[in-house]
Amino acid sequence: MSKPELWVVAERRLDHIEPTTQQLITKANQLAGDRFHVVAVLLEATTDHLEDELTTYGPDEIRVVRDDRFPTATDAELADALKQLVDAAQPNTVLFGATITGRSIAPRLQAKLQTGLTADCLDLRFDDDTLVATKPSYGDNIMCEIICPDRRPQMATVRPNTFAAQPTPNGAELTTAKVDFHPVTRLHVTAATPVVNTATTVGDASRVVALGRGAASAATIDAATQLAERLGGRIGVSRPLTDQDRFTHDDQIGQSGNTIHPDLILNFGISGAVQYLVGMQDSQTIVSVNSDPNAPIFAASDYGYVGDAQAFMTALLGQFA
Amino acid sequence: MKIVVCIKQVPETNDVTIDPKTHNLDRRGLAGVMNPFDKNAVEQALQFKATTDAQVVLLSMGPDDYAQSLREGMAMGADSGVLLSDRAFAGADTLATGYVIAKAIEKIGDVDLVIFGRQAVDADTGQVGPIVAEFLQQPQITYAATLRLSGPNEVTAERLLEDTKQTLVAQLPAVVSVRSELNPPRYPTPRNIQLSFEKPLTIWHHDDLDLDDSRLGQAGSPTIVTKVYAPKPVKRELTPLTGTPQEAASQLIKALKDRQLL
Ligand SMILES: Cc1cc2nc3c(=O)[nH]c(=O)nc-3n(C[C@H](O)[C@H](O)[C@H](O)COP(=O)(O)OP(=O)(O)OC[C@H]3O[C@@H](n4cnc5c(N)ncnc54)[C@H](O)[C@@H]3O)c2cc1C
Ligand SMILES: Cc1cc2nc3c(=O)[nH]c(=O)nc-3n(C[C@H](O)[C@H](O)[C@H](O)COP(=O)(O)OP(=O)(O)OC[C@H]3O[C@@H](n4cnc5c(N)ncnc54)[C@H](O)[C@@H]3O)c2cc1C
Repeated sequence: MSKPELWVVAERRLDHIEPTTQQLITKANQLAGDRFHVVAVLLEATTDHLEDELTTYGPDEIRVVRDDRFPTATDAELADALKQLVDAAQPNTVLFGATITGRSIAPRLQAKLQTGLTADCLDLRFDDDTLVATKPSYGDNIMCEIICPDRRPQMATVRPNTFAAQPTPNGAELTTAKVDFHPVTRLHVTAATPVVNTATTVGDASRVVALGRGAASAATIDAATQLAERLGGRIGVSRPLTDQDRFTHDDQIGQSGNTIHPDLILNFGISGAVQYLVGMQDSQTIVSVNSDPNAPIFAASDYGYVGDAQAFMTALLGQFA
Repeated sequence: MKIVVCIKQVPETNDVTIDPKTHNLDRRGLAGVMNPFDKNAVEQALQFKATTDAQVVLLSMGPDDYAQSLREGMAMGADSGVLLSDRAFAGADTLATGYVIAKAIEKIGDVDLVIFGRQAVDADTGQVGPIVAEFLQQPQITYAATLRLSGPNEVTAERLLEDTKQTLVAQLPAVVSVRSELNPPRYPTPRNIQLSFEKPLTIWHHDDLDLDDSRLGQAGSPTIVTKVYAPKPVKRELTPLTGTPQEAASQLIKALKDRQLL
C-alpha cells in the first residue's frame, strides 16, 4: 500500500515562494518519517519555475499544476482547484501557511471538503495518523490542542516563522497534475501593487535588537540603530513602541506582531510580558538588559544584565569600535 | 439594499485562566461584549446605510445572552437583530457555525452584502466568513482594509496581503470580512440606546431553519479541542552579566564569540 500523503500547499509571494512554505516542508519532513509521503502542491503559471525554490527543502514530491490564471486567481478559484486535487489524491493532511492568503483559501476549501481546519497553529505532531495541532487562543493567553479524528483530509494553517526551514540535499520528484479552472466571474482583482519592502523585515533578520518602553528615548533608539547595523540585524519593538512614528506594527514582536527566531536577540527595556515572550522565545541566544532585577524577561534569557539600557548599548558599541 | 453583519459575543477580557482541577477554561464572571472586530463591520454597514437606503440586520449564533451584543449593535444604529439560539447549535466548530449562519442568511433572504469581522478575539480563527461565502456560493473579499459601494450592484475593496496591495471589485451579493484599519467604530448615542430596545430582535430556534441535523453543533463539528493549557514560556538557564556596563559588555562579547555569533 502506498503511504498516506501529507501536503504542504505552496504559496507565492510576488515572484517567489512564501518562506512559510519552506518552513512547513521542513516540518512536514520531520513529522513524516517514513510513514507519510510529503507533497508540496504548487499552482503556478506555465512560465513559472517556483518549484526550484522548493526542491532544496526536499519534500518527497512536488506536484505542479500550471495555468496562467493562477497568479491572479481569487480565493474561490484557488480553493476550487485544490478541491479537485484533494478529490483525486485523497491526502491525509493538508497544511497551509497562516498568511492572509492561507487563512483566506484554507477555510473556503474546508467548507468544500466539509472537514476540520485548525487555525494559526504553533505546533504540530501526529498521534498515529491523526494530526494534533496546537493553537493559541484568547490572544495567546491559552494554548489548546485540536484534532479532527474522523474526517480527512485534516487541515491546519500554521503561523509564519514558527518552524525553521532547513535545506536538504535529498531533492524531490517533480510531477504534474491537471485541474479544470473554473473562473468566478463576479469577482475581479483590478489592481495589484507590490508593497515594496526591500529591507529585510524583523521576521527575516538573523540578528535582532529589540526595544521596549524602557529603551524608548531618541538617544537610545539611535544607539540601538548603530548596534543593529554593527550586528547586521534589524530593530524590533514591543507593542508600546509601535505608537512612535519611527516604528510600525510590522516591527512589532509578539503574539499580535511577528513571531521570530533569530540566532541572536538583544532585549532592551522590555519587561517580558507573555504576549511578548511567545513571539521570541524560540530565538537561539537571548540577551536581556533591564533595570529591574525581577523583570520576567530574565527567566526567558540566556544572558542578562541588570542596568540601564542605553549605558549598556554605549559600552557595547564602544568595544566593537 | 440589505446588509447582514455577523457578530459574535466574546469575553470582555482575554485574561482567562485555566481551572487547576478540571483543566477547563475558567470564564466565570467574565462579561460578554461584542467581538471588537465586529464593531468595524457594523460601522461599515452603517456608513453604507447613511448613503443608501440600506437596511442593516445583525446576525449572531449563540446562547440567549448574546442578545446583549445584538442590542449593542442596534444601539450603534443597526435596524434589527436575529439571534440563532438552540441547544442543538452548541459546541459548534467553525464549519458547523458557518453552516447555520449560511442557512439563516438564506432565510433572511435577498441579502446583498454580508460583512464579517476579521476574526473573533477568543478563538482567533477568522474562518467563519470564508466558510459562509462558500456555502452561499458567493465571492469573498477577506481582510478588507477599505470598502466602498462603487456601483449600484458592486463593492470595491482594498486588501493588503503580505507583499501586495490588491484592489478587488465584487458584484453583489458578496461576502466581505474587514480589518480594524477600516474605520473607528462609532459609540452608541443615548438616543440610539433608547431606540435599540424598540427595534426588532428575532430569535430563531432549530425548527425555524431548514437544517440537516448531522451538520449541527458538536456532532456536526469535525474538530475537537482535546486539551487547553496555559502557555509556559521556556525557562532558560540565565548567565548574569555583572559589574559596570563596560565589564558586562566585554563578558557578553566573549560569550557571543564562544557561541560563534560574532
Ligand atoms: C491581546 C494582547 C496582545 C498583545 N500583543 C503584544 C505583542 O504582540 N507584543 C508585545 O510586545 N506586547 C503585546 N501585548 C502587550 C504586553 O502585554 C505588554 O504590555 C508589553 O509587551 C509591554 O511592553 P514593554 O515590555 O516594552 O513595556 P513595560 O512592560 O512597560 O516594560 C518596560 C521595562 O523597561 C524596564 N526599564 C525601564 N527603564 C529602563 C532603563 N533605563 N533601562 C533598562 N530597562 C528599563 C522596566 O524595568 C520594565 O521592565 C499584548 C497584550 C494583549 C492584552
Ligand atoms: C479555544 C478554542 C479554539 C478553537 N479553535 C478552533 C479551530 O481551530 N478550528 C475550528 O474550526 N473551530 C475552533 N474553535 C471553535 C470556534 O471558536 C467556534 O466555531 C466559533 O463559533 C467560531 O469560530 P471563531 O470564534 O474562530 O470565529 P472567527 O471565524 O474568528 O470569526 C470571524 C467572524 O465571523 C463572525 N462570527 C463568528 N462566530 C459567530 C457567531 N457565533 N455568530 C455570528 N457571527 C459569528 C464574526 O463576524 C467574526 O468576526 C475553537 C474554540 C475554542 C474555544
